Amino acid sequence: MMVERDKAMSDLKMPSGLVTSVREEGEALVVCVSGEIDLSNSPKLRGALLALVARHSPRRLVLNLGRVPYMDSSAVAVLVEMLRKVPKGGCVALTDLQPRVKGLLEIARLDSIFLIVGTEQDALAK
Amino acid sequence: MVHQDSSVRSTYWVELKIASHPANVAAARYAAEAFAGICGFGEMNRGEIGLCVNEALANVHRHAYGGATDRPVTMRLERTEDGMRIVIRDWGCGMDPQASMSRARDVRRPGGLGLICMRELMDEVVFEPQGDGMLLTMERRKPRGVSETRRVG
Repeated sequence: MMVERDKAMSDLKMPSGLVTSVREEGEALVVCVSGEIDLSNSPKLRGALLALVARHSPRRLVLNLGRVPYMDSSAVAVLVEMLRKVPKGGCVALTDLQPRVKGLLEIARLDSIFLIVGTEQDALAK
Repeated sequence: MVHQDSSVRSTYWVELKIASHPANVAAARYAAEAFAGICGFGEMNRGEIGLCVNEALANVHRHAYGGATDRPVTMRLERTEDGMRIVIRDWGCGMDPQASMSRARDVRRPGGLGLICMRELMDEVVFEPQGDGMLLTMERRKPRGVSETRRVG
């Protein structure tokens, strides 16, 4: 049983350079993203997240952006697309936002569309 | 390469020529942020300036050049008396991105966010169609009396 579960969890990990860890927490999928994200690599992030969401169909997608010091509007577009991929009533939570990322989401008026909280634990608790 | 242009009263400027590949945008952004530091901007404002450069160059790649990655783009960074000027020239389709901003913006459709960033974070944003492309000039003035001011949040 343990071997099967470990295999299932390892199957979820799809290292793309940007996605550094993936884990399930009940109905939530917690994904850690790392690195600067701009037009040169946002399509790669999009592909990785779409694959994870299609595979797991999480009701809640928690994106830990604590190791993302910078993103541009193309990355924001990827995040917004994920909003349309979770089931109705689900949510996309963004955690551990660095100042530049938080500032960009405020400019985009998206700080009220996503669930923005301090930590993964906060996102899972809400 | 840094020039001191003797024909203009005591200004410093740096000019970069890059291909329109998205992979080059980061380098241009870093250069703009570093130059902003030389102009006296604090870290937060340097980041805002870098974001505007990123968005402007991304728009050139996407819209001016229709996704082409080998077309020329020049970016000139100039120190002004009270801040910094960024001039970006492309030889693309000459489409004015402001034309797409007339529709009411739906936050769930992030198209146009780059232009919104530029308008919110820069003091001046001017698009001047050229016969063979576009000239974009952005200016940011340093805050007076305080080290830096936050444009958002």
